[in-house]
Amino acid sequence: MATEESASVMDDYEMLISTTDVELLKRAWRNEKAAPEILQFESSLVQRIKEQIELAEQNEEIFEANNIEPLTVSLYQMDLDRTQFLLRSYLRVRLQKIEKYLFYVLKTDEYLNRLSKQEQMFARRCTDDLGSHLDETVLAKLPDNYRSILKQSITSEEDDMVPAPRLDTFVICKANQYLSGLDFEPDYSMEITEMERDLLTFVCYKFVKKPLENGKIDLV
Amino acid sequence: MYARKGYELVKDLANGEKGQLQPFNEDLFNQVVDQCTQHYLELQALIRKMQEESVDVRETRNSDHYGALIHHLSLIRNKRCLMAYVHSRAEVIQNFAWKVGLELLELPEEIQEKLSPSEKNYFGKHSSALQSYMAEVGIDLNVDMVPPKDPYIKVRVLDDMGEGILLSDKTANLALHSMHFLKRTDAEQYIARVGLDGRAYRMTLKQGVSQTISMTMEFQM
Repeated sequence: MATEESASVMDDYEMLISTTDVELLKRAWRNEKAAPEILQFESSLVQRIKEQIELAEQNEEIFEANNIEPLTVSLYQMDLDRTQFLLRSYLRVRLQKIEKYLFYVLKTDEYLNRLSKQEQMFARRCTDDLGSHLDETVLAKLPDNYRSILKQSITSEEDDMVPAPRLDTFVICKANQYLSGLDFEPDYSMEITEMERDLLTFVCYKFVKKPLENGKIDLV
Repeated sequence: MYARKGYELVKDLANGEKGQLQPFNEDLFNQVVDQCTQHYLELQALIRKMQEESVDVRETRNSDHYGALIHHLSLIRNKRCLMAYVHSRAEVIQNFAWKVGLELLELPEEIQEKLSPSEKNYFGKHSSALQSYMAEVGIDLNVDMVPPKDPYIKVRVLDDMGEGILLSDKTANLALHSMHFLKRTDAEQYIARVGLDGRAYRMTLKQGVSQTISMTMEFQM
């Protein structure tokens, strides 16, 4: 009985920890780093974290002014630094993914909707810059039918010069709860039928895409 | 002909070290472009020939058609080689904006020599796009490239950067070989350039609490 109780206490504790903003940011950051494609922008989370960071910085200054013991101050400073690092790295990883798959992101509405407003503007500016750079150096010198950035020539049937993110790379992931076959796409039900909770699995990204979006899986 | 020069251009790109730039190979590039125009002229000549013989241009499969097809395919391959060359260089330039700094003038001389004027222009535009994003979001994304371990780090200056460098809580005189105990975020903008130099190294003090990272402003490219 005691072990069951302590197990449930641990569960509650984990639930509590996992809902703090920092934990959510850590989770979003880990997922973003591991995923080959860009994920949904957590705008409310980022907003809250920014406000909390500002608050913490103000507290910092109050502490320093009140001459509180330097050790405490530096501990708070460390915590603040680490959270700032998480936030900055999260935004950085997203920007780098946008840079990498620039034309594809702007072409596909699904990805375009996952960007925040500032990221969309950044992506558009980047495409203009890169487009004009490519035009100047290469495309203007080529004959007429071959001047498109996205297609090899006007006889191509689709945009074949745009690289797409590779969704069949392998990722390591862990499920938050027991997942049955219903949580996965029906197309993949031959490959993957269930996933135990907290078991590290090495799997193709596209199989876990759907549960990842629903928050049931974490990438490691 | 037939994309052999294009292949040489791509090999030129692949032979350089990963992440480093070679000087922009203007000659080879122009040669490939010339070959493209040649192919196109041949292509047009063949198509015109087929039209003059009042043969259906799209459907027939005679020798002229195949000749035109070869020219078209070499042209596309040349285009791919050229685009790959310019695009990979552009990616390396994008990385510079993250690693080195956002001001064009901060790029050391050796790197600036290797860029074509259009690439310098692209770098300027890209960094201003990044800067405007950072300004909108209100967060500086160029610091904290590495997870923080200590709030203050001990650094030794490897290159004379002069006096009166303004840091967040004091001014420091960063003379050659002097040691300073700086806040991490301040020191980072100088340490960030360490990545480009093969000679950069970290030393851990035997007493073991803080890391000593050497700051350098010299680059070998």
